[in-house]
Amino acid sequence: MSGHRVLAITRRLLEGFRRDRRTVALLFVAPIVILALLGYLIRGSSSAPAVGIANEDTGPLGATVAESLGQSTRIETTEIKASDGDARLKDGSLAAYIVLPSDFSQRAGEGSIAPEIHLEGSQPGEDSPVLQALQQSLISIAARGNIHFAPKIEYLYGGPDFDTLDYFGAAFVGLIVFFLVFVITIVSFLNERSQGTLERLMASPLRRGEIVLGYMLGFTVLALIQAVEVLVFALAVLKIHNQGNVLLIFGMEALMVVAAVNLGIFLSMFARTEFQAVQFIPLVIVPQFLLSGILFPVRSEPLALQYVSNALPLTYAVNGMRDIMLKGADLTWPSLQLDLAVVAGFGIVLIAAGTATLRRRMA
Amino acid sequence: MSDSFAVNIDGVSKAFGAVKALNGVTLRVRRGEIYGLLGPNGAGKTTLIRLMCGLLEAHAGSVTVLGQRMPNVGVLRHIGYMTQAAALYPGLSVQENVEFFAAINGAEAGVKEALELVQLWDRRTSVVATISGGMRQRCSLACALVHKPELLLLDEPTVGVDPQLRVQFWEYFRRMAAGGTTLIVSSHVMDEADRCQRLGLVQYGRLLAEGTPNDIRSQGGSQNLEEAFLALAGRKES
Repeated sequence: MSGHRVLAITRRLLEGFRRDRRTVALLFVAPIVILALLGYLIRGSSSAPAVGIANEDTGPLGATVAESLGQSTRIETTEIKASDGDARLKDGSLAAYIVLPSDFSQRAGEGSIAPEIHLEGSQPGEDSPVLQALQQSLISIAARGNIHFAPKIEYLYGGPDFDTLDYFGAAFVGLIVFFLVFVITIVSFLNERSQGTLERLMASPLRRGEIVLGYMLGFTVLALIQAVEVLVFALAVLKIHNQGNVLLIFGMEALMVVAAVNLGIFLSMFARTEFQAVQFIPLVIVPQFLLSGILFPVRSEPLALQYVSNALPLTYAVNGMRDIMLKGADLTWPSLQLDLAVVAGFGIVLIAAGTATLRRRMA
Repeated sequence: MSDSFAVNIDGVSKAFGAVKALNGVTLRVRRGEIYGLLGPNGAGKTTLIRLMCGLLEAHAGSVTVLGQRMPNVGVLRHIGYMTQAAALYPGLSVQENVEFFAAINGAEAGVKEALELVQLWDRRTSVVATISGGMRQRCSLACALVHKPELLLLDEPTVGVDPQLRVQFWEYFRRMAAGGTTLIVSSHVMDEADRCQRLGLVQYGRLLAEGTPNDIRSQGGSQNLEEAFLALAGRKES
C-alpha cells in the first residue's frame, strides 16, 4: 500500500469539495441548523397543555384542588362548565378538562377521590402532564391517610386500546409517501437535465406546462400505487387503528403525492447534479418532519416555530391524516376541509412554480 | 415562410457573463442546403445552434428561422435538433426513444422509416443503455429526424463516430438534403467540410469566412481546407 496514492485520493476529494460550496455549506451549516431547531423546539416548547377545570363540588375540597391545579406549571388552566367540555376538546382549544363532581368533597370524606378526567387523546404527549398535575394536586389530600384514588378517565379520541403506532401511524403513512415521491421526482427530473434530454425537449414544440403536467401524471400514477400499498400494509398487516373512511385517507395521500411531485420538480431547478439534489432531502424533509406535528404538537411549539409549522404543507397533511384515522373525521369537518384545501393549494402553487422555473432558455 | 433562407442570422452577439461567445455574427443558410459550421472547440458553434432553436436568446442582432424571428415555440415543430452528446433515455429501448420524440412532435407514423434510415430497425428492441456509442448516435439522429423537420440542426453529430459510420451519416445527410431538408452541421473535423455545400468558419465568436469549400480554399490561398482555415484565422488575428 502506498501512502502517497492514498493521500492523492484524499487530496482529490477535498479539492473537489473546495469548489462545491453548497456541499461544504450543507456539511457544516445543516447540522447546526437542525440541532438548533431541535433544541429550540424541545426547550422552547410550552409543554403545558390547556386544561379546563369544571368545579361542581358543593363542598370545600373542589375549590382547593382547582386552585392547586391553577398553580401547576405543568398545565394551563381555565374555568369552564362541564357541559362545554367536549365541544372545547373538539375545537382544539383544550387538550383536556377535569370535572370535580358535586359529591367530590363528600366522597373524599368517605375515603375516595373521584375526579373525572376527559382527555382529547389524539396527542398522547399532552395526556401525561394533565395526569401528573392532577396527581400532584391531590397529594396533600391523599396525605390525610387511607384515601382511595378513583379517577374516571375518558378519551374523546384514542384511548387505552391505542398504542404508539396507532398515534404515529397515521402521520407516518403520509410522511413515507411524501418523502419517497419527493426523492424519486427530484432525482429523475435532474436526470432529464443531466442526460441532455431536457435540452432536446426544450427545443421541441412541447410547452413548459406540458412537461410539468406530464411528469406529474406519470409520478402520480406510480405514487398512488405506492400509496395503496402503504395503506393496505398499515391497515391490514400492522392493524393501525382507523376510525375514518379509507377513501378519504387515500384522497389525502393523493393530494400529498401531487404536492411532493411538484416540490421535486420545482427544487430540481436549483440543483445542477444529482449530488446537489440529494442535499435538498435533509433541508426539505428534516424541518418538515420536526415541525409538522408528527412528534411535537404544533400548538405546544414556540410561537415563532408555530408560524413556520403553519406554512408547511406536511403540517396540514399530518393533521388531516390524524383527523381521519384517529378521530374519524369526514368531509363535513371544517378542520379536515381546511387541511385538504391547503394541501391541494400547495400542489397547485407548486405546479405553477415548477412551470415558471422550467426555463426554455438555457442562459 | 416564403423566405428563401432557412436561417438568417444578422449581427448576433451573445455573452455568458464576461465571456463573449458570439460577436456580431451574420450568416445565411439557404433552404435545402447542407451548411457546415466549422471551427475549433469553444468557437461558438453550439451557441449558434442553440440560438437557432431558441434555447438561447441573442443580446444583440436577430435570428430568423424558417421565416420566424427566434425564439418562437411554433417554429420548433419544423426543426430537428441533435445535441452534441447522444441525449436519450437509457432505460428505454431504441424504438421507445424514437417513439417518444415522434409523439411530442405529433409524428408517430414516421418511427419505422426513421429507424430504417439509421439502420436500427433490427435493433429496435435493444435497451439504449446496452448498445454501443455509435448505435446511440444513430438512435439520437433518428430522434432528431423522425418528424421530418424542414431544418435539421446537428451539433457535432460525428464526434466519437468511427469512420465507417461517419460515411453512413453523410450518406443520410445527402439523402435528406436531396429531399428538401436544410441541414446545419457543426464540426471541428476539416475532412467533413468538403461534404458540405457551403461553410461558415467560426473562431472566437466571429465568422471568419463563408462560402463553398472552393471559395474558402481560394480565400485562404491553399488547396488544403485546413491550411486555408488556419491562414484565414491568422489573418483575422493579425
